[in-house]
Amino acid sequence: MDSDAAPAEAYGAAAQEAASRDQFRAIDQDVQSLKKEVLDLNRDLFLLEEELLFPANSQVAFFVSMDVGEYFDLDSISIKIDGKEVANYLYTEREADALIRGGVHRLHMANLKTGEHELIAVFIGHGPNVREYRRGATMSFDKGIGAKYVELEITDSITAQQPEFVIKEWE
Amino acid sequence: MPSGRFIPSRLLLLLVLLTSAATAATDDQQPVVIKEPQYGEVLYYFYQEDYFPAIVRLLAAREQNQLAEHAADAELLLGGMYLSYGHHSEAAEIFERLLADKVEDATRNRTWFFLAKIWYQRGYLDKAQEALSHLKGNLPESLEREALMLGAQILIDDGQYDEAIARLQSWNGRTEWASYARFNVGVALARSGRIDEAKEVLDGLGEMDPFNDELTALRDKANLALGYALLQDGQPSAAKRPLQRVRLEGPFSNKALLGVGWADAEMENYDRALVPWMELRGRDLLDSAVQESMLAIPYAMAKLESISQAADHYLDAIEAFHEESSRLDRTITHIESGAFFDEFIENDPLDSTGWYWELENLPSGPESRYLFHLLATHEFQEGLKNYRDLTYLHRNLDNWQQNVDVYSNMLETRKEAFDQRLPRVMLALERADIEGLVSSKLGFDATLDNVEKSRDWLALASESEFRMWGEVAELGNSPALLSGIPEAAEVQDKIDLLKGVLQWGLERDFNDRLWGVRRDLHGTGEALVETQRSRRQIDEAIVREQRRFAELGGRVYSLAPRIEGMKIRVEDTLADQRSFLQSIAIGELQAQRDRLDIYMIQARFALAAIYDVASIAGDELE
Repeated sequence: MDSDAAPAEAYGAAAQEAASRDQFRAIDQDVQSLKKEVLDLNRDLFLLEEELLFPANSQVAFFVSMDVGEYFDLDSISIKIDGKEVANYLYTEREADALIRGGVHRLHMANLKTGEHELIAVFIGHGPNVREYRRGATMSFDKGIGAKYVELEITDSITAQQPEFVIKEWE
Repeated sequence: MPSGRFIPSRLLLLLVLLTSAATAATDDQQPVVIKEPQYGEVLYYFYQEDYFPAIVRLLAAREQNQLAEHAADAELLLGGMYLSYGHHSEAAEIFERLLADKVEDATRNRTWFFLAKIWYQRGYLDKAQEALSHLKGNLPESLEREALMLGAQILIDDGQYDEAIARLQSWNGRTEWASYARFNVGVALARSGRIDEAKEVLDGLGEMDPFNDELTALRDKANLALGYALLQDGQPSAAKRPLQRVRLEGPFSNKALLGVGWADAEMENYDRALVPWMELRGRDLLDSAVQESMLAIPYAMAKLESISQAADHYLDAIEAFHEESSRLDRTITHIESGAFFDEFIENDPLDSTGWYWELENLPSGPESRYLFHLLATHEFQEGLKNYRDLTYLHRNLDNWQQNVDVYSNMLETRKEAFDQRLPRVMLALERADIEGLVSSKLGFDATLDNVEKSRDWLALASESEFRMWGEVAELGNSPALLSGIPEAAEVQDKIDLLKGVLQWGLERDFNDRLWGVRRDLHGTGEALVETQRSRRQIDEAIVREQRRFAELGGRVYSLAPRIEGMKIRVEDTLADQRSFLQSIAIGELQAQRDRLDIYMIQARFALAAIYDVASIAGDELE
């Protein structure tokens, strides 16, 4: 549909267009192969970074998930591990929306010794009727050998018409 | 089933890629429970349209077998994300593998069509055609229309006009699509020199009664295309009618006005030709039609023998062309310096990468007014996307390069600390003499066996009992007891009694005590085994840690040159891409300048001719 140009102008341009298309294609193929290689390199670097900073035997990852989100607009979450604040994350609208649609956010990664630990999470946002909402949830967990995943889950309680905040080990 | 981790099924995920999010969100599909947090994390970035980190996370999770539960979905999602990220070759490979039998026709057809569109926009006509050939089964009407249009457009772009005409001519709907199809047929016919057939098709479009702005613009385009095709074919009288049907204020009006003037001029009706050309005088000089009219006006005036007026107009035109040409020169220099692309990148946040991105506004500057219409071309837009993506890759590699430096320092520091602590740990371990302790324990076992075998009840006496036994035995050995006096016999009786009581008690408790000591020895044995195990673990940990340092070190040190090498390649490709974009932009500006140069030469020649005629006329008068 892009025949804006009058036919007279188009006659001579065809060969030039084809040459230009070939040139574009040659560069585009380089770009395509670079994209693949840089993505693969990023994968390797991502794995290296995780292994280096959070070795599997001490790694604990804290994930945030959300179900429905009708009774709660998430603004931020802060977490304390064994009484020490380790993360305080402010969500953008786009991020909160990604959570509502089923995305899971890796809020924090930590290295913890084996044994018993305590997690306190504070969820801040707006609840029903746009009221400011601030709720805490707590959980003790046992860190054994091997990586551990903890889930901070925000759900809607239809019966109570309130949000619910649950911390649990990822099953 | 865990709550809170439901996402739409994979078919829906693909639909999210192919249709608007709103449509997808309302589609009622089977929910999928997120079983692995890593998959949910990929979706977190995917839903934010941050395709690069989403793809990296998916590749990393797949490498670590963390997506076993979502393997099929993940693969399809990866294909979709590659597509959205503009990595169409990889996407096509995945779709070719997955779409053959794992998804229903509707999704598969839509995906192939989407891919065909991307291939087409990137100038891969053969691949676009191939992607279209994958469409099968009954297509929804809208998809069928679009696919037919795209297929025909590919043929037109490839110069296969007859084939394109054959495909589109059977389409006789009354929809917008049918109008576009007719337009494309008309243009294809005109390009292949079949003017009479083109006239029939384009005339019909040019006289239609449009019901929206889009069709009104299409009607103007059809009239313009037909008008110029007829002018080119030497039919000025026939050309006038379609050209006059173009709206006076639309985007095609300048060219139409110019064409109407030329049609009259071709018929030597210069008075009439001046009417549309004079209308163009006040319009934007950037438009080639307006530029041409500045020459056409004095040309017509000269033909009408208004020589002095013609000379004035030629002088005005030369001045205007000269100024415009100088501005174009400055713009070309600016683009050649590369500053234009630096400004473009500086103004761009680079936060969202992918095929959906589109440049809507050029950086403000003198060149923007000349390049604005380049934005409408696929080549320039796609080239800019590549340029932008390459810049993103370069920044990404830059960041990693810094991080890898930090990691390498971190690793060296850890290794140094490890090497410093290791001798102290080894010394402490040697001092512990676990082997000596084990041998003592075995000695105790043997002693206890002997005690049991000989029922040596005294061996199991407590310290106080043993002391008491010794004291009593010592008393029994006292020489006074042998004095034979009655008191001595009495004391001997008491001593015997005491010994008897002590022995009786020890014999009575012998089994319990033996069991107690055995239990303690057993406990000691277990503790020693545990200690030996710990020791082995420590030894293993030392070896493992040394191996880990070597392995991580190897990876960190090998990644640094890999990053560096890739950065150089990205820079080279970035330079190629920039020079390609520069050549398109400069080519465009150069063409504008060349046209102005030709106009200036023509104007000067015409002016010289006028002066010559005037001078000859003056001489004759004298």
